[in-house]
Amino acid sequence: MAELRIQGLAKSYRDVRVLESIDLTIASGEFFTLLGPSGCGKTTLLRTIAGFQQQDRGEIIVKGERIDPKPAHKRDIGMVFQDYAVFPHLTVAENVAFGLKARSLPKSEIEARVAESLKMVRLDGYQSRLPAEMSGGQQQRIGLARAMAIRPTLLLMDEPLSNLDAKLRIELREDIRDIQRRLGITTIYVTHDQEEALAVSDRICVMNKGHVEQIGTPFEIYRHPVRRFAASFVGTMNFVPATLDGGKLVVGSQSLPFPALPKSGPPELAIRPENVILTRQEAQGEAISLRGEVRKVTFLGREAHYTLRTEVGEIIAQVMDPSADFIAMEGQGIDILLPLAKCALFDADGDLVSMGKQAR
Amino acid sequence: MTKRTRFDLWTFVLMGAWAILLILLVWPLSSILKASLIDNATGAFSLAHYVDIFTIKAYQRAIGNTFIAGFGGMAGALVLGVTLAFVTTRFHIYGRAIIQTLAVVALVSPPFIGAYAWIVLFGASGVIRKGLASIGIAIPPIYGVAGVILVFSLKFFPHVFLITSGALAAINRSVEEAAESLGVPPWKRLFTVTFPLILPAISASALLTFVLSIADFGTPRIIGRDFNVLATEAFNLFSGEVGGNPGMASALSIVLIVLSMIVVFGQRWILRKNVYYSNLIKKPERQRVSGLKSVGLHVLAYTIVLLGALPAFIVVLFSFRRTSGPVFQPGLSLQSYQKVIATVSDPIWNTLLFSSIAVVAIVISGTLIGYLISRRPSVATGSLDALLMIPYIVPGIVMGIAFITRFNDPPLALTGTGLIIILAVYVRRLPYSARSVAAALKQVGPNLEDAAVSLGYSPGRAFLKVTVPLIVPGILAGALMSFVTAMNELSSSLVLYVGRTITMPVRIYLSVMDGEYGTASALSSILLAMTVVAVYAAFHLSGRKESALL
Repeated sequence: MAELRIQGLAKSYRDVRVLESIDLTIASGEFFTLLGPSGCGKTTLLRTIAGFQQQDRGEIIVKGERIDPKPAHKRDIGMVFQDYAVFPHLTVAENVAFGLKARSLPKSEIEARVAESLKMVRLDGYQSRLPAEMSGGQQQRIGLARAMAIRPTLLLMDEPLSNLDAKLRIELREDIRDIQRRLGITTIYVTHDQEEALAVSDRICVMNKGHVEQIGTPFEIYRHPVRRFAASFVGTMNFVPATLDGGKLVVGSQSLPFPALPKSGPPELAIRPENVILTRQEAQGEAISLRGEVRKVTFLGREAHYTLRTEVGEIIAQVMDPSADFIAMEGQGIDILLPLAKCALFDADGDLVSMGKQAR
Repeated sequence: MTKRTRFDLWTFVLMGAWAILLILLVWPLSSILKASLIDNATGAFSLAHYVDIFTIKAYQRAIGNTFIAGFGGMAGALVLGVTLAFVTTRFHIYGRAIIQTLAVVALVSPPFIGAYAWIVLFGASGVIRKGLASIGIAIPPIYGVAGVILVFSLKFFPHVFLITSGALAAINRSVEEAAESLGVPPWKRLFTVTFPLILPAISASALLTFVLSIADFGTPRIIGRDFNVLATEAFNLFSGEVGGNPGMASALSIVLIVLSMIVVFGQRWILRKNVYYSNLIKKPERQRVSGLKSVGLHVLAYTIVLLGALPAFIVVLFSFRRTSGPVFQPGLSLQSYQKVIATVSDPIWNTLLFSSIAVVAIVISGTLIGYLISRRPSVATGSLDALLMIPYIVPGIVMGIAFITRFNDPPLALTGTGLIIILAVYVRRLPYSARSVAAALKQVGPNLEDAAVSLGYSPGRAFLKVTVPLIVPGILAGALMSFVTAMNELSSSLVLYVGRTITMPVRIYLSVMDGEYGTASALSSILLAMTVVAVYAAFHLSGRKESALL
């Protein structure tokens, strides 16, 4: 079992800083996800840990030992690739045995581990097939079995599901999570898909423009984002412009008492669509109430999304288990409540401002 | 930031590659540039040769004729090639494998065999021409511009056919269906959707056939008679039947290179944006037609490929006929083969020896250079890649002249050796090998090697265990095709050979010029047989992809 620490890791391509002094600690056996848009540096960070790229500064420490001076092939790291990188000239079994042969294990041991790994990814019986005869999902299972067979100290996955179709993606991500739990292997997973990140991770590291925005459990990232970027990137979030005016928070034509902020610049109020209330009933505790018009209703089965036009801009509200007459709402006026307990306030720099009222 | 400069194997490969190209390419070619700029007699700087080009009628005619041959060959090859590609990819034609095989036979048989075979049929004493004359139909002999264009069209259309079929097969059928659903009738769709989509392929093959046509020496020489082109004119001036004028030959060579260069870069410039990417979700399907239309399409397709492969059949057929000097006699005999084996077997051994050595060198250095270009991008490898373009635009005859003027004297006096013939073939074919390896490596993708590294293999072992097995079939197929072109190389060998180092194509050429048609047929048949064996093996290795043959 291996704990991973990254200290002050930085890398630039010519003048562009792709990683700005990254500090991370990943616990042994943890499923840790690097989440961010393309170009945020997540893949560079992963490939630097793997040893395919060299950092300019900083240290990578596994089990208390620096691994960054070692070449990639001596780091004992299993890697799963976005394009599978399955060796097309080798059979399924030969693919899985490939890394074991480099370790010159006895033949019986190799056979046993190949069988075990293929069983784990539910590919037993496919030993002598060639990868070209197999589907994308099956090829990625080979890639996973191959990386697991060497029993690496770390498992790295670079967007392993993004070339698969939606149904397979969910099926395989569940398998990945189950296998990882069972083996307790420290895993770093890269994805740009926030739903995938929420589904599989113990902790998520949201990255943007080469630095870490927020690290936390999926619940913390979704419910209590500390950076505007994390709030907007993970899930859907309404941002409502606000102003601070002499001890008051002004949203639209409403104002609430609020302690003055040290930083200047207009803040933004953020609220998830599922927390927006669309009834005439009173909200529990304090709330901002707005008058709006329903522009569009999108029916999604178990829920419906309402696009509302208000004096402070467009707001999306989510209603669970919508009733039959939901569609008739289009074009009608409606009262909207934004409970303060469910709101977050971000200052002009994108940092969370404590409102002192958040329910944990 | 630390930047480590490593002196590893690849540094030496890079330096070696630069040395090879400087010595075997830049240095010889600089000699013809220099020769073209100095006066033959005084050795002083002079533009006289270039002035002559613009004042002497014969040279202007050669330039004009080169254009005629180039555009004529290109137009003919395009019409035949695109038609055949369209018919075979869009309609159900019986015996597609036969059509493809015949096209490949036409592709790999040397062009001078084509010229010679058409002379056997329609020349001054041509079999068909005489036959027609005996029943009162008089047609003029095929010599001259018509013959040259006919031979080029039938020789080069397989290039167009193979490139264009690939493009046609890669058009997403939904795109054509979309056009139809938007109300465009099928005949109009052909011109508004299908042709624009395959235009890059068509123009690439057009360029190729143009450059091949203007570089060809054997065809205009054998069938052109007084239809002089730059390649033949340069050879005449150089070989000095009338005194010799190396300066003028060099100046014409430069003109020929510049012409090829303009075409190559012009085509690149025109196509710099017209590359279309389309996802191939729905593959095009072959339409089943019946009745008269089906008969017509079959006749069309088979006529084209049979005419293309006809020269190959003719030489084999005629190699078994009795001859008496240049005249074929009735009846069958092996006398031509007996004569070849008894008197002219040297060319066969020379050809095999020279081609084998050249190919081994090409494969080793081409693989290393290809790896360098695709996996170690830098200014030094980028300019190496650019330098490798040069052999594509230097005709064989020009390379021959450049070699003999540069390697005639110390420090590298190679004239009269087999080595000079080998080196000329080597440097002409090296770029094809290097670039095909580079392309194959780009397909393999570095992630596969990364995967092997993550599994515990050092980068060197990862390359050997993963990349090499994946590109070896391609390398071997490329090697066999290099072998085929090396065996069939006429123009540079013709300038560089001496009695001891004569090769089969040169021997065949000389036999045709001397009217020894029996010997020429027998030698051609042997050459063709060796070619077909090599091509079949290449085809097999490359997983039956015709594109490997280009």
